[in-house]
Amino acid sequence: MDLNGLSADQAPPISAPIRFFLTAPIFGVIAGLLILLCDPQMLISRYSIESIVITHAITIGFLGFVMLGALTQMLPVLAGVKISKIDTVAKVAHIFLVFGTLFMIFGLLEDHSKLILASSVFLGIGFLALIVPMLLALSKVVHVTASVRAMITSLVFAFLIVLMGMHLLASYGTDKFSSLHVLLANVHSVWAIFGFAGVLIIGVSFHVLPMFYVAPRFKPFCKQKVVWLISFGLLLWLVLNIFLESYSTVAKIWVALFFWAFATTVFLKLYRRRRPISDVTVWYWRTAAIFMTLGTFAWAINDYYDSRYIVIVSILIGGGFIFSIMSGMLYKIVPFLVWFHLNAKGYMSIPTMNDMIDKRLAKTQFILFLISLVGFVVSFFIPSILPIFAITFIVSMLILEYNVIAPVLIYRKIIKTKPEFDMSAFNISVEGIE
Amino acid sequence: MSTIKEYLSEDHSRCDELFANMEDAVANDINTAKEAYELFAGETERHFQMEERVMFLEFETKTGMTQGPTAMMRQEHTQMRALIKEMGEAIDAKDKDKFFGNSETLMILMQQHNMKEEQMLYTMAQQHLSAESDRIVDMMKSMIVE
Repeated sequence: MDLNGLSADQAPPISAPIRFFLTAPIFGVIAGLLILLCDPQMLISRYSIESIVITHAITIGFLGFVMLGALTQMLPVLAGVKISKIDTVAKVAHIFLVFGTLFMIFGLLEDHSKLILASSVFLGIGFLALIVPMLLALSKVVHVTASVRAMITSLVFAFLIVLMGMHLLASYGTDKFSSLHVLLANVHSVWAIFGFAGVLIIGVSFHVLPMFYVAPRFKPFCKQKVVWLISFGLLLWLVLNIFLESYSTVAKIWVALFFWAFATTVFLKLYRRRRPISDVTVWYWRTAAIFMTLGTFAWAINDYYDSRYIVIVSILIGGGFIFSIMSGMLYKIVPFLVWFHLNAKGYMSIPTMNDMIDKRLAKTQFILFLISLVGFVVSFFIPSILPIFAITFIVSMLILEYNVIAPVLIYRKIIKTKPEFDMSAFNISVEGIE
Repeated sequence: MSTIKEYLSEDHSRCDELFANMEDAVANDINTAKEAYELFAGETERHFQMEERVMFLEFETKTGMTQGPTAMMRQEHTQMRALIKEMGEAIDAKDKDKFFGNSETLMILMQQHNMKEEQMLYTMAQQHLSAESDRIVDMMKSMIVE
């Protein structure tokens, strides 16, 4: 029996997840600046360099960072596993990912082949340094729950998309594109969105929604089967794309159907939640559910329009669904981590979670983000107005960064004082009892 | 008769329900919420004591692990007791903000704690104490809160 999750040092040091959470909104700002500075006409095609760069500033820089940070924190709690030296691993992976993402952005924009090749290596090392130990740790879990299964599935997809991404980047670096380049880029993006992020979100929400909002629990069918059904759809989509491309829409609709069902379920569960509280996290969940519904429909019918609207689909699903959930999660997890770590160190008179982030600022940030999302969709049809929404997005990301920093500053201020109660007597080693 | 794991896990759900009722009551009218608070606080205290005075002791005796997972769980009970006390003080002071600030924190702490117990400790307890499961559940049911 694995006792790591219960040991006194079960939680990773606060720095492991926080370093990722503090970096994510900065990449959001960078993405906003890139949108502001680029020619809006270039963003109508998903294959333009500008589109690829901005997409990855968001998907790696924001979404990837938040997901990896959250995984370092959730693994011990949801799965009871611990990664040895997680602090060092997180620190090293973080550095590689920051430089990898920056190299990718500037390498592609400047068409600097060495920088692009370096980004491929850096991003590969950064991602795999976390993904591989996490998968190894999860493979040892004895009591496999629905959430653990979803985490494993999600990380397997993550592992594959990282390898594909490294190859795709190297193609840009060497300027040699294989005949499979477009197919690989398609699989990379679809598996990243639905396989890595989508499955992870679904798996975690099995716990998070009933727990944090006392919403009705998910049905056993949902918990046991949905992840398999989605994975099957994603594999089927790959096979059809290779051998029977004209039928690939079938698999797309299959995957879209389950995500649409999930979005509806989330919306209904939140509606029937027992906790009266309605904070920024609930609004983000609702936004995510609505945008996912629109996104899945747009994705499924996009094939009938020669994929003309794929950029809108990306905004709806990547921005409206995944980005919203990640932002909402930051608002809960960062104040909690600050409270939890201070309390565990014996500090008793600390602000409550609700006092750590200014509610009005959180609301402003949410509204600006929502305006930006809708604005991005409208800008697809009227490109000249894009800069306005690039600015609202940048401001929303700056506020988000401030809202994440605020609790961290409280932590730093309090940790310098002397604790009221010495908890060190409770920090008992549990080594040797497995 | 339910197993140790089933009995205590169901008790978690019951406490969650009382927690939601209490928050509902405070959101409606903090002046009349004391009763719902007392019910939640009382039942949660009962749950802590069923573990600390019965199940944890049996587990520690059987496995010899007195400084292991149960010590960690006891420490988290201390953290939660402090928060529950502050929530009661907030109701007395009619301070909704303070109440919800503490209840939000308690909610996350409690759920992390429950998850660790349900997924690991209860499973271990059930394995080590399966032969005495009925007796232990009986003792927990008939325990009088101190």
